[in-house]
Amino acid sequence: MNIIFCAVMIAGGAIMCAVSPDGFLTALLRGTEKAASSTLTLGCIYALWTGLTQVADDAGVNAAIAKGLSPICRRLFATKSAEGAHAAALNLSCNIFGLGGAATPFGLKASALFDGEGNVYGRNMLFILNACSVQLVPSTVIALRASAGSASPADVFLPALICTAVCTGAAAVSYALLSRKRKCPKWRR
Amino acid sequence: MAAIVPAIFVVVFIIAAAKRVNVFSSFCGGAKEGMLFTLRLTPILAGVFIMCELAESSGLADAVTRAASPLTRLLGMPEEITRLAIIKPFSGSGSLSLLTELLKEYGADSYQGRCACVIYASSETVFYVAALYFAGTNRKERALPLAIVILSAALSAVLSCLLCRIM
Repeated sequence: MNIIFCAVMIAGGAIMCAVSPDGFLTALLRGTEKAASSTLTLGCIYALWTGLTQVADDAGVNAAIAKGLSPICRRLFATKSAEGAHAAALNLSCNIFGLGGAATPFGLKASALFDGEGNVYGRNMLFILNACSVQLVPSTVIALRASAGSASPADVFLPALICTAVCTGAAAVSYALLSRKRKCPKWRR
Repeated sequence: MAAIVPAIFVVVFIIAAAKRVNVFSSFCGGAKEGMLFTLRLTPILAGVFIMCELAESSGLADAVTRAASPLTRLLGMPEEITRLAIIKPFSGSGSLSLLTELLKEYGADSYQGRCACVIYASSETVFYVAALYFAGTNRKERALPLAIVILSAALSAVLSCLLCRIM
């Protein structure tokens, strides 16, 4: 991240110096403004869903869901934390059903929990799955195509699904293989 | 599909009420935790967003597109589509407006239009997700997953165009 940040900032800054020095600060401020506004948006979404999860938790609903999904997640993320596996399970199911907003809070929770137990592998795997877009129905795109006057708005469904599945699979498998090759961390034993 | 979210809320609240949980205070407790957590994300988001804004408005994204065009043409990707594939990891709103423009220009059912849709649908705003998931976690081993994800995004862009040719 550091390398990319430096590269983009230096190269972008240099180009701005040459082309439009006035636009530089405006662009950066637009960035921080976006950060502030998306913190607010994210905070609202997050508060809503963590609120609901808390209710579900106190009602024992979470424990029931976790029982079904956690074993898979425990393997997938090589974690011992039941709570983490559970949050990751919720994150993945929300992602698959296209509830991106709901998925994020669970993902971040799982990520923090994995990190807390020193499980870098699990945290990274979760990031990879989230960054590769595991979504069953691309609802935004279908809506957009319909409004652009497409004859069959949903016909991108299959190629998108195949593409997502292949790329996410490739990314997850290659990370699993690469990190196994480099060392065998103790949480796997 | 749209009924899933309200249904989840209703079911959870009914179960909670049936178990005599104090639903309101439980909800507020959870919401508080969520709000405090997002505050910790703000600095990291600021860093990522200024980077993304700069990449877009300095024309760096366009420069990369042009530099990559011989390669992408070889792989059968039109240039406008490459632009979308490069902007998508940086900016969700930027790529959405670009997709809208592409659909208007080429039509939703053209090769370019469908290709753009598949790319948009099968990729994520990688740097935003990275900022979220790596915020406040320990710094070990972030480079490898990020590299894998970026490669996978590139693969997904190429694959999208191929799939649109056949299907």
